[in-house]
Amino acid sequence: MQVADAGAGGVAGGADSRDGHRGLGSPGALAAAASEAPRVPGPSQVSGPGGDASSTTGRPETRVHVFALCVPFPSNVEAEIACASLAPDREPHGSVVKKELTVTGSILAIRWRAENPRLLRISIINFLDQLSLVMRTMQRFGPPVSR
Amino acid sequence: MEEHTWSLARNSWNSLLFSATTTAPPTPHTSLPFPSSVFPHVCRILTPISIPLGPGMGAPLVSVAVVARTVAQLWNKPLLGVNHCIGHIEMGRLITGATSPTVLYVSGGNTQVIAYSEHRYRIFGETIDIAVGNCLDRFARVLKISNDPSPGYNIEQMAKRGKKLVELPYTVKGMDVSFSGILSFIEDAAQRMLATGECTPEDLCFSLQETVFAMLVEITERAMAHCGSQEALIVGGVGCNLRLQEMMETMCQERGARLFATDERFCIDNGAMIAQAGWEMFQAGHRTPLSDSGITQRYRTDEVEVTWRD
Repeated sequence: MQVADAGAGGVAGGADSRDGHRGLGSPGALAAAASEAPRVPGPSQVSGPGGDASSTTGRPETRVHVFALCVPFPSNVEAEIACASLAPDREPHGSVVKKELTVTGSILAIRWRAENPRLLRISIINFLDQLSLVMRTMQRFGPPVSR
Repeated sequence: MEEHTWSLARNSWNSLLFSATTTAPPTPHTSLPFPSSVFPHVCRILTPISIPLGPGMGAPLVSVAVVARTVAQLWNKPLLGVNHCIGHIEMGRLITGATSPTVLYVSGGNTQVIAYSEHRYRIFGETIDIAVGNCLDRFARVLKISNDPSPGYNIEQMAKRGKKLVELPYTVKGMDVSFSGILSFIEDAAQRMLATGECTPEDLCFSLQETVFAMLVEITERAMAHCGSQEALIVGGVGCNLRLQEMMETMCQERGARLFATDERFCIDNGAMIAQAGWEMFQAGHRTPLSDSGITQRYRTDEVEVTWRD
């Protein structure tokens, strides 16, 4: 499992990089890497109840948030199947949240761009639920028959 | 802008798979009535896989679509995307044998009068706001009527014991109907009238049914007169209601027409009706490419080209 600071995402330097670990509990199944644009202070910077978390430049709601997820599959065939199952449905808030699915080898890569962090979070959670459904279906009804 | 990437290791699959369960992971074979050894045979027999594309609520539609698309690809079977309303119609036609009826489609989510003409199921009349089933269900909530087995069923039973007809707004608008006004009125009037003892909850159930069903009979009759139709078919969950069937039968008899209706196995939403409509489409040469199989919450009955009928 690759965590953000292993260089997979091209971490930008500077004081903001620490918020990449916000919310990261134990390295469980899913790496909890933050993906929103930096400059929102992480927990270590908040100075208690009186802390002013809005002293940063710009408001979080108007910035673009990007998130990328890579899902490995046993083979290219399964990755393509998953992609074709998950791609057709439109995003509910399509003007604010957009996602793109691509398959490279046996890896399904999904990339989100969103203006609103809350809707982005909802979209990601929903996608993970649907991905779970696809994977359970493959486990239950697979492997793919020969074409 | 920083960008971070998640990558799921193969061993993270387990947590993702079981993230929905709160206890131990499910044991195999609990979710299907037959074992995996049957699959190769099922693969050979099974032909198209049909799914409802809409209309309806997004979450259930997408859950089914995602699983069905995956199975279709795993087993290399064609996919058929079906309109839910047409599923009701095709099941009604199959079960009752009606040839070309005027259809009254009434459920919690839809209220339409539909007639077939030149390769389209044309909507002759419909609700301009909420569905009749929605009106009945929300009225049941006001009176705290039980949902077991369903609010509509309980309203029907209570209505049989009603004695007094309370005058309610009657809102037919040409070929269409409206229910939100009646609902607001009865929500307001119910508390008042029950408090003064002017009527009983059974009287209100009876009055609501008589009023809304009469409205549905009127717009169905109007469509039948327009089309010169000699058959009427009721589909959708509210079609289970025997009083509605009775009132429609009276109207049909007066016109010398035949009424067709089904029981709750086929009135209420079911998977078989989607398969039936999918089968008709498949036989007529329809295929739904995966990229076109996105679900939609709004899908008009007349958007589908009905190539399987003359």
